[in-house]
Amino acid sequence: MILAADPLYGGDLLGDILITLLKAGVAFTFLLVAVMLMIWFERKLISDMQNRIGPNIAGPWGIFQTLADGIKLFFKEDLVPENADRFVFKLAPYLALVPAFLVFAIVPLGGDFNRKDGSDGVVSIFGHDTFLQVADPPMGILFFLAMSSIAIYGIMLAGWGSGSKYPLLGAVRASAQMISYEAALGLAIAAVVLQTGSLSTHDMVIDQAAGGYGGIIPNWNIVVTGFVPFFVFFIAGTAELNRPPFDLVEAEQELVGGFHTEYSSIRFALFFLAEFMNTITMSAIMVLLFLGGPAGPALFFPEGWWIGTFWFFLKLMAFLFTFVWFRATLPRFRYDQLMDLGWKVLIPISLAWFLLLAGLRLGDDRDWTYNETLAFMVGCIITFALLGGLLIGAINTARAERVREEADRG
Amino acid sequence: MSDFLRSYLTVAIFGLVGFALVGAFLGLGRLLRPDKPNLAKTEAYESGVDPTGDMWSQSNIRYYIFALLFVMFDVEAVFIFPWAARLEAYEIFGLIEMAIFIFILLLGLLYAWRKGVLKWV
Amino acid sequence: MLAQIETLPVNTPDVDWAGLLPLAILGVGAVVLVMFRSVVKRLPADIETQVVTLVGPITVLGMWVAGGYAGENVPLASVRDDVGEPAFYIGLLVVMGVAALLVRTMQIGLDAAVTAGVGLSAISAVWALWDDRFTSTGPFNAIGDQFGVDGFSLVITGVIASAVVLVAFLLDDYLRREELDGPEMYVLMLLSAAGGVVMAGANDLIVLFLGLETLSIAVYVMAAMHVRRSESQEAGLKYFVLGAFSSAFLLYGIAMVYGATGSTNLIDIRIFLDSVVLVDDGLLMAGFALLLVGLGFKVAAAPFHSWTPDVYQGAPTPVVAFMASAVKAAGFAALVRVFVVTFGGYSSDWQPAVYALALLTLVVGSVLAVVQRDAKRMLAYSSISHAGFILVGVQASSPEGTASVVFYAVAYTFLVIGSFGVLTVVSGRGDRATSLDDLDGLAARRPALALAFTIFLLAQAGVPLTTGFVAKFEVIGAAVEARSYWLAIAAMVTAVVSAFLYLRIVLSMYMGTAAENPADDGSRIHPAAALAIGVALVITLGFGIVPGPIDELARDAVPHLVAAG
Repeated sequence: MILAADPLYGGDLLGDILITLLKAGVAFTFLLVAVMLMIWFERKLISDMQNRIGPNIAGPWGIFQTLADGIKLFFKEDLVPENADRFVFKLAPYLALVPAFLVFAIVPLGGDFNRKDGSDGVVSIFGHDTFLQVADPPMGILFFLAMSSIAIYGIMLAGWGSGSKYPLLGAVRASAQMISYEAALGLAIAAVVLQTGSLSTHDMVIDQAAGGYGGIIPNWNIVVTGFVPFFVFFIAGTAELNRPPFDLVEAEQELVGGFHTEYSSIRFALFFLAEFMNTITMSAIMVLLFLGGPAGPALFFPEGWWIGTFWFFLKLMAFLFTFVWFRATLPRFRYDQLMDLGWKVLIPISLAWFLLLAGLRLGDDRDWTYNETLAFMVGCIITFALLGGLLIGAINTARAERVREEADRG
Repeated sequence: MSDFLRSYLTVAIFGLVGFALVGAFLGLGRLLRPDKPNLAKTEAYESGVDPTGDMWSQSNIRYYIFALLFVMFDVEAVFIFPWAARLEAYEIFGLIEMAIFIFILLLGLLYAWRKGVLKWV
Repeated sequence: MLAQIETLPVNTPDVDWAGLLPLAILGVGAVVLVMFRSVVKRLPADIETQVVTLVGPITVLGMWVAGGYAGENVPLASVRDDVGEPAFYIGLLVVMGVAALLVRTMQIGLDAAVTAGVGLSAISAVWALWDDRFTSTGPFNAIGDQFGVDGFSLVITGVIASAVVLVAFLLDDYLRREELDGPEMYVLMLLSAAGGVVMAGANDLIVLFLGLETLSIAVYVMAAMHVRRSESQEAGLKYFVLGAFSSAFLLYGIAMVYGATGSTNLIDIRIFLDSVVLVDDGLLMAGFALLLVGLGFKVAAAPFHSWTPDVYQGAPTPVVAFMASAVKAAGFAALVRVFVVTFGGYSSDWQPAVYALALLTLVVGSVLAVVQRDAKRMLAYSSISHAGFILVGVQASSPEGTASVVFYAVAYTFLVIGSFGVLTVVSGRGDRATSLDDLDGLAARRPALALAFTIFLLAQAGVPLTTGFVAKFEVIGAAVEARSYWLAIAAMVTAVVSAFLYLRIVLSMYMGTAAENPADDGSRIHPAAALAIGVALVITLGFGIVPGPIDELARDAVPHLVAAG
């Protein structure tokens, strides 16, 4: 299989390495600054929504508040609990933060994806043609899934290594929650892969940059895959981030701080950093998978290398705003509701939708007529209705049984 | 080195830089922060009261069952992704095979559901 | 960019659905059963009785359709030809009515009835395949060249399906007695049987491994199914750990053979070995050794037998019946397919190893059986010694040897199900009374059961007029034919040793003081269990007196490797 590899590779080695390092440096800087601003943005926005003022002392509009907090944490004493497994305790922050960094490597941050002249997102930096993303491995999106799995290790090891009760409970909750939603997350991604026919993130953007319906509605996956995978991914992603309304992991009222209760000083800051970094990367992945990444509806805009980046950040901000909005608005889920939503709603829906999409996509490929497609759709709907009916029947009998058993007991 | 490996090399370098950065943070913190340990500070936190009992307590068996279910759905991804990426090549045969596979998976989920495994409380 | 992704062609294999029918029936049966029970957990008692009665006629229809789809010369006639004849419909209706009555008198549970129905339909499909496809057109491939349908695989499939039916009858009463009701055991048994069928027909080492794992994993769980007995848990865990270990051996052996021959397909391997002379065959020999260890574990050949006594003692008795019959048959099927057929050209290399294995298995099985005080443990060792006998047939590496293996597998399946069936009834709640002392004076308490057990034991000892005798005779005959005289003599000697043991039990049943057995309340035997034991008995005696039909079947049931056309 020939994949569209980054044209950077194959040129002179030194220049390539320098460009790669430059891209990595820019990505790091961007992430760190973005986290800083994100925390400030979140606090400020929430205080607006709650009729407060929020941070307003450090810098203009309190914009340096996060920086001040971070510097403060450097000067705090670092405590390793007596009962802790010292090695695991110290390893955990690495495992939490590094995957959050790494995911960002596969996100295309910009590039010229103008669909009129069919350019493919290649930009030129100091005479070197390259993609505006740190790396484009052929298994790109699987890399994201792998990293989000490794992040669970960070949390689990932090909780276990602390040798304390609250962190352990928080960690077990967190890992159960994250693995429950990971399945739905993977299936939503599979729907996108179905559409793109490739796992490479760059190919995904190109696929979405191609002309859409009537040239007006963009060919973004959110439309093409019929919205359901997007919502599944959005919900599962929020749960994966342990953000409200799925923040049971660090439910302050129950678990103090969850898995990082025993962490202090800069180690605590690393977890905090990882959390917000994950929020940003997850938003970026969502933009990439469903909203066309850097490819925008560029019809009415001037063309240029910066336009992709502009669109990307615009979409990213929309997601970040939504996350904050969630936090300000929604009450926390109960644990059983959380698990029910994951296993009993999201997974069956995403599996069924995945199969439906696969059938339609195959029909498209084999030039089905309108009637054939219609027949397939109707068949699918009947099957799903039957299965759903079966399920509802099962639930009802279960409820009846429970009622009967309770009546038997007295 | 092939393009294939080079894009992963880039990721690896990126990861190493990430590790280095975390290490740098921790190193900087070590230089700056005070270090005056005493027993009260290193005690496990239990909302202010003296910690009791074993710290590594047992947790609910249901977490374990969810982990098992997760393995089921995670292994499924191994089959679904390659197939999804090469959907057209497998044609209707592949679609039917995948439908059977997913049906059996869903059946497993349904069985677990009816067995009361998914019920929390 | 997307256009650059080459669309490589993917070959979809040719599928002969009729050839897959027995496998499909077992697999789909398991899926349907678990689906049904997931939706309707429990039916009200009165409705359940009605539904169970319906299962009988549905089974008859299923057998008719399955048979008709696969072949033509089947009892109940074929779907294609007989539709339209009034006499046929009347006959069908009558048979369905009889089936309904039979199911009613058996007082069997729904899950067991469905399982038995599935098993019977599979048998019907096997019969049709044999009678129609196999005898007229010979062996053929069902999926590409991965899964073959030949006389050998058909007979083993039939054996496994029969075991499913009989064990389902035994399980019904057992599970109710132990308060373990539920579809899980039956579903697992059907899945395990499907795995066994895959093993019997596998024309590829990877497919073989797949079948073996499907078979084994289901049986591990079945062994641990008695949740309230710690012995059962222990048995399941032991079986699982050692079984997983042996699977690793098998897989490693497959890798070695692949390394030596460049293929995992048995047909390709044989063509390669026939046409190429390996100068350095160390890798192949290592592969032989590891495959032999892996499969030897599954069939409980010494020195890989150590799990058998513990697992047989701990696992629920009907499950042991299944393990000793179907699992063993599938294991030997794989052994014959891989060694005798595929590596037949290298028989001088592996025969000594199997020779040693057979000898050791015979001696260990029969000698250690004598000192056991527990009936299930004793039968475990005796099953080891039977494995030794079958290995004698494998060692011959000849058509006669294969035929004797098939005969032994068929005979032993019914023998062992009968034996463990009796034990299931006698051992009482919680499988407590399995000591040999508990069998003392059984004749006074339960004369019919004692008589049945006597016949099964005599058959195991190889007394004439039972299938056991004919089976042993054929195996030893094959060994003599292959000039393995000492092995033949050893087999005869160990047969005498174990005969002593069996006769001792028979004596204690009849002569022993009629000690009260607290676990066995002497209540009426459940009709389904009685039917299972009765069928086993009839087959053991019937084909012992008239061995011709099975003998002919076994001679036709030589495995073939057919290259995909």
